[in-house]
Amino acid sequence: MPAQAGEESLIHVAIKAETLFTIGPLQFTNSMVGALLASAILLVMAWVFVRHPALVPSRVQSLIELPIEWMSGIVAGSSSRWRGYVALVIGLFMMILVANWLGLLPGVGTIGVRHGEEIVPFVRAAGADLNFTLGLAIVAFLVFVWWGVRIHGPIGYLKELVGEPRYMAPLMFPIHLISELSRLVSLSMRLFGNVFAGEVLLATMLALTTAVVFVLPLAFFVPAVFLGLELLFGAVQALVFALLAMTYISMAIAEQSGGHDEEHADHDEHTTTSDIATSQTASA
Amino acid sequence: MDAAATSNLAAGLAMIGAIGPGIGLGIGFSKAMEALGRNPEAAGAIFVPYILGLALTEAIGIYCLVVSLILIFAG
Repeated sequence: MPAQAGEESLIHVAIKAETLFTIGPLQFTNSMVGALLASAILLVMAWVFVRHPALVPSRVQSLIELPIEWMSGIVAGSSSRWRGYVALVIGLFMMILVANWLGLLPGVGTIGVRHGEEIVPFVRAAGADLNFTLGLAIVAFLVFVWWGVRIHGPIGYLKELVGEPRYMAPLMFPIHLISELSRLVSLSMRLFGNVFAGEVLLATMLALTTAVVFVLPLAFFVPAVFLGLELLFGAVQALVFALLAMTYISMAIAEQSGGHDEEHADHDEHTTTSDIATSQTASA
Repeated sequence: MDAAATSNLAAGLAMIGAIGPGIGLGIGFSKAMEALGRNPEAAGAIFVPYILGLALTEAIGIYCLVVSLILIFAG
């Protein structure tokens, strides 16, 4: 049936970013175009609005400053050393926000070159490619590990991984190591899953409504509702990624094992954990 | 059954895992609303842990979604 074939080509979403051209060993994909466009938009915005900053902000300037002020207010409440990572958290937030909303623009994911049956779009939502989200997650991961090492020292950081009762180390060390690495996986998979599922949702809604051509206005209104939903999800996911990165960093800063300096600060906590440990060994 | 049918069926079955995070999100949301009802001034303090908790719960559902999407589009 020809109608069914048409439907299938409408709903087609590639899980892998398509290669536009290759530069030596590097495959230049369409999601890279999306990511570069998002960073170009951010750079131009920064250049335009930092050039003439007014003390009494104009309407456009206050619109740009609003999310940044709001985010820095949240980051300031996370730990006392928030100035060291506030730029990274806001940068992650703005980058993911712009990349997500860029992917919703008309033309992104639809205009492209035809390769046989399939159309390879020029621009793809950057978050719909695992390479982009994994890259951001690796940055966040390296930063929170670096903060842990910086605050507690390499030995102190290893002690955090080993855990409190030293004889439990063979069991707890792999568990802690896996839980650190699983943050990398969950950060990247969450963003990728959300953005890619959004793309699939929009394609599906469009395919479903254009299949019923005789109620033509439906094809305009139903995807528009889901586009609004995707606008909300794009902002929420950007916020979630940035807040989780912030929480991991502030946890890496705040974690105190009883082994080294400033033992008096967490004296109460230390005694209670050792009490629990001794009671557990007594019952065991 | 051929391979495509099996992978489509498996994609549907993978989404059964979304039940758990669904229940979890409902509990989290209702507790947050309860806390907000008792103390409306604490909205700012509740917001960040609330979003983080929902994100961590939702991640489990997203794993199911990623598995089933991979089964549909790459399987």
